[in-house]
Amino acid sequence: MQTSVDEARILAELDLSRDRPFRLADHLGMVRAGSVLLFVIVWEIFGRHVNPLFLSYPTAIGRAFVQLVLSGELLRQASGSLAVYVVGLLASLAVGIPLGLLMGRYRLAEYLLDTFVYFLDATPRVALIPIILLWLGLGAPAKFAIVFLSGVFPVLMNTFSGVRAVSGGLVDIGRAYGAGEGKIFSKIMLPAAFPFVMAGVRLAVGRALIGIITAEMFTAVTGMGALLIRYSSAFATDKLFVPIILLAVLGVVLTDGVSRLQQRLAPWKETERAL
Amino acid sequence: MAAATDEQLIAELGLRRERPWSLYDHPNLIRAASVLVFLAAWEIYGRRTDPILLTYPTAVARAAVELVRSGELFRQLLVSLAALAAGFGASLALGVGLGLLMGRSRVAEAVLDPHINALYATPQVALTPLLMMWFGLGFSVKLVMIFLFAFFPILINTAGGVKNVSASMVEVGRAYLASDRQILFKVLFPAALPFIAAGVRIAVGRAVVGMIVAELFTAITGLGAMLTLYGNLFETAKMFVVIVVLGLLGLGLIRGVQVLERLLGRWKETERAAR
Repeated sequence: MQTSVDEARILAELDLSRDRPFRLADHLGMVRAGSVLLFVIVWEIFGRHVNPLFLSYPTAIGRAFVQLVLSGELLRQASGSLAVYVVGLLASLAVGIPLGLLMGRYRLAEYLLDTFVYFLDATPRVALIPIILLWLGLGAPAKFAIVFLSGVFPVLMNTFSGVRAVSGGLVDIGRAYGAGEGKIFSKIMLPAAFPFVMAGVRLAVGRALIGIITAEMFTAVTGMGALLIRYSSAFATDKLFVPIILLAVLGVVLTDGVSRLQQRLAPWKETERAL
Repeated sequence: MAAATDEQLIAELGLRRERPWSLYDHPNLIRAASVLVFLAAWEIYGRRTDPILLTYPTAVARAAVELVRSGELFRQLLVSLAALAAGFGASLALGVGLGLLMGRSRVAEAVLDPHINALYATPQVALTPLLMMWFGLGFSVKLVMIFLFAFFPILINTAGGVKNVSASMVEVGRAYLASDRQILFKVLFPAALPFIAAGVRIAVGRAVVGMIVAELFTAITGLGAMLTLYGNLFETAKMFVVIVVLGLLGLGLIRGVQVLERLLGRWKETERAAR
């Protein structure tokens, strides 16, 4: 307490000032908030002047959101999409991780499968949507297949390269201590490759979301993607923005959730790898 | 004549220079066999199935010859590639430019990053209906979609790369009286290049997805439109031709970027080796 008074006195005597001149770089939070606020206000003012068929404005979107929530429409379609999404993603993990382990560990498996895996991984999955719809119809099985195919390759490829990156020394030590193949898989391979696997999961989460939305937009029967098509065909632009914003939030929540999970489950290694 | 003594020793000890023949030394043999078995099984199974649902390799080959002869495949491929090149070029120019700005100025970053993060998190396919409403069904909507798909990875990686440049490099530049421009082009940009290249690799794959999604929904020109057209006509063999072309395109682009990445990041490797 004493020192601070002294300091203040000395500073005053020497005519020094403690405050820095105002600089924008010191108030970045404010700049951020201001930027967002300005955008919303400009949108509101501009949007009210534009034909509502082409552009809506924030308050109209807010009203549409309340309306869609109250009618239960949004929740029904969103839960339908999410259920398929979760099941498809889990299936892609259940297939991608073991197959990746297998391909990384056994050269025979690698040579047998890698041509197909590389080719399918490079083929944009959205290109498969028309043919999957032809095979599986417009319902949940087709969506499931698309989510699965979108998710499985990032997981598979990352697990594969994760296992290959495991140093031979670790495996040799395991062998020297008499570990069997099962032990080597579960105690050495999987933990060492885990950060890679999680990086793959993070990619898969985003890709599968794109997959399911595209599929739903294409079939236009149920789900969030169908809502997008329905409202745009009806030129209900205010309602159209509601699923878009909701999907943005979902995207943030999902990627953020996986990053957190990654930090919690695999804190021993930070590997960033995007294939 | 050291080699002779080597040979003598080998002969004396009854050793052999050649390894016994092992399947693992010929991975391409295994690969070829695997692909051949797959194609044969597909051919046999495919011929017994309804041609509307599943086709078979020879039918796909016939369809490919037909599409190439009629010139349709090349015409549509060219349309798609033109859109891809224009959209990707735009996203590269803007992404790198804006990324340099955001990486350099904290105020610019604070102003832009809430919007950019929100847009990046939104699955861009969800914007398709809106963009179609705004830009119609022609070339411009494809351009915008490809741009939106490819822009964010480039921007975010460039900004991250610039922020990652060590401050001491900039300080040395300043000490030698480098101007802001020189610091930007001689210090920051080269240092950020490997990061930018990584962003480009992600962006290329996404640009192809954006192109296909735009073409699937506008369904007028391009490879995606061919998919929709032949899907509606139930010409499965022709759909497969397009899918294979898209797969090869994806594979080629990814390989191309990997080569580019190695070329651009070469100095980085030498820097590491010199230590």
